[in-house]
Amino acid sequence: MMASSYSAKDEDGHITVSGPGGAALRNKKPENTAFKQQRLPAWQPILTAGTVLPAFFIIGLIFIPIGIGLYVTSNNIKEFEIDYTGDDVSSPCYNCAENFSWNSTKFCTCTIPFQLDQPYESNVFMYYGLSNFYQNHRRYVKSRDDSQLNGNMESLKYPSKECEPYAHSDNKPIAPCGAIANSMFNDTLELVYNDPNGTNVSISLVSTGIAWWTDKHVKFRNPGGSNANLSAVFQGTAKPVNWRRPVYELDADPENNGFINEDFIVWMRTAALPTFRKLYRIIQKKNNMAPTLPRGNYTLKVVYSILKATDLNSVIWMGKSAVSRIRFKFFQVR
Amino acid sequence: MTDYFIPRSAELSLCFSEPLFLQDVNDRWSLQHPQLYCPGQKNQYFNKKAFASCVMHSCYSSLILFFIPWAAMRDTVRDDGKDIANYQSFALLTQTCLLIVVFTQLCLDTYYWSAVNHFFVWGSIAAYFAITFTMYSNGMFYIFTSTFPFVGTARNSLNQPNVWLTIFLSSLLCILPVVAFRFILIQLRPTINDKVRYKMRKEVLPAPAPRRLLRRRSTRSGYAFSHSQGYGELITSQNFLMKRPLKRASLFPQTDSPIFQNQPQHYLDHQQIKKLTDSMNGGLSLLLKRRVAILVT
Repeated sequence: MMASSYSAKDEDGHITVSGPGGAALRNKKPENTAFKQQRLPAWQPILTAGTVLPAFFIIGLIFIPIGIGLYVTSNNIKEFEIDYTGDDVSSPCYNCAENFSWNSTKFCTCTIPFQLDQPYESNVFMYYGLSNFYQNHRRYVKSRDDSQLNGNMESLKYPSKECEPYAHSDNKPIAPCGAIANSMFNDTLELVYNDPNGTNVSISLVSTGIAWWTDKHVKFRNPGGSNANLSAVFQGTAKPVNWRRPVYELDADPENNGFINEDFIVWMRTAALPTFRKLYRIIQKKNNMAPTLPRGNYTLKVVYSILKATDLNSVIWMGKSAVSRIRFKFFQVR
Repeated sequence: MTDYFIPRSAELSLCFSEPLFLQDVNDRWSLQHPQLYCPGQKNQYFNKKAFASCVMHSCYSSLILFFIPWAAMRDTVRDDGKDIANYQSFALLTQTCLLIVVFTQLCLDTYYWSAVNHFFVWGSIAAYFAITFTMYSNGMFYIFTSTFPFVGTARNSLNQPNVWLTIFLSSLLCILPVVAFRFILIQLRPTINDKVRYKMRKEVLPAPAPRRLLRRRSTRSGYAFSHSQGYGELITSQNFLMKRPLKRASLFPQTDSPIFQNQPQHYLDHQQIKKLTDSMNGGLSLLLKRRVAILVT
């Protein structure tokens, strides 16, 4: 029926050609399927004027209201900043900044009066801020022991090598070890409202709820479990060199003592940039309609401590590492 | 960051899979437009100028990918007042911006979106987020404490709308100039590739009339038909061969050029050829049959 030179295709698509000896030679051509011949049904996006120009305009129309919204919202946020570095002779904290030395055991206190022109509603967040404090330096960031901070008893006695040279003191292991813990910020800030009728009202500052939930409940655990006697558990360890009190005396509240102290947790979450701020306290909003912080005169009492940035020179041979500014901020969100 | 290799592997899986399924101008068009081979010969797409423009584009993208997250994180807190400007969140944000930009750039460079491409692209993005959340989960932290210290970072930063806005913004800033540049180049200085693709699109868009043989419902076979009175002359006069291709079953559905009549075509498979030759069996002259036989070989 057909010409003899026609050769039928096999089921699998390969064309077999009869060779000279009658043996079938397998042709190496790939199968004629869409997959192997790269003929899969495909959509081709083409950049035409009809697609690109409307797309640009639509993106612009989407982002302009977003930008306006963000600008208006950020202008509505009330923020108040006090610089208590004490680098200026006229500053109240100048004495503290100048006279404080390493071996000083007495506290240095300074008070800064300020005035709020607008009342602050709802929850008010208090932050402390530092400039030129390189918490993002690589050796500094590595200088911690996460196993120890997670409550591992083995790591409590034998801190990791990353913590060197802040791993041992007086032949005892340091708990918590490392340069990050050693340089913990321990200024104490208190806020007092000077009532117009003369009384001074101390404003209550909440020190819990400032750290991430995952940090407080997963990453940082006290050794010995939740209800352990911390001073017994930390027996045989030393406090970090620059701390005044050991880690099990950070707070009277057992839920906020030891490694799960929230100020400690907040400090251990190293900042990305040299100028940063960290949440210090929250001023809860009042139940009645009164503003959380009414307008008027206030006093900020600072128990000054030197910032442990200069001892980073022993770990890293950086040039300028002195902290130049300590700020203190109010911040009201919504 | 010790875990930078996980997003890189997601990228690499995408990069390796993409070229496997790239389609290009098909063989018919390639033969019809041999100028398509000129850019390769002249090294138009891989020379110092192309490399320099690639470097410039990379520098621009790198600056955007660092400074946009930097500006977004500079003085920011979460909406409940807690920290987001920490080292780990910043790293995660920059990494996610980078991955999204790379994926979008790959999507731009993919000209043929088949099912396989879709699977690999969306699968890679999903795999990246799955791996990220797994690595930053509680379980991994408890098992390998010092290797996975980023516990909680993904959960606490990726639920903030300003993080997603930053990601979206940085990817737009990286991609829009590329799109604009390519669009302008296609309009003002189209390359041979662009021209051929344009022609292909124009050809495909008006749907071609189906060129199938409409089998006449006749109880008589073609053989008998040809032996009826009055058709003998028609058959032997070769007027049959002059009929327009539209009315006849065409072995070569896309005859644009006389070149193809001598080339082996694989557009019809065995069954279709059998059908056609059967239908021609009765009514064709010997001449036509022989011609069919030669061409099908």
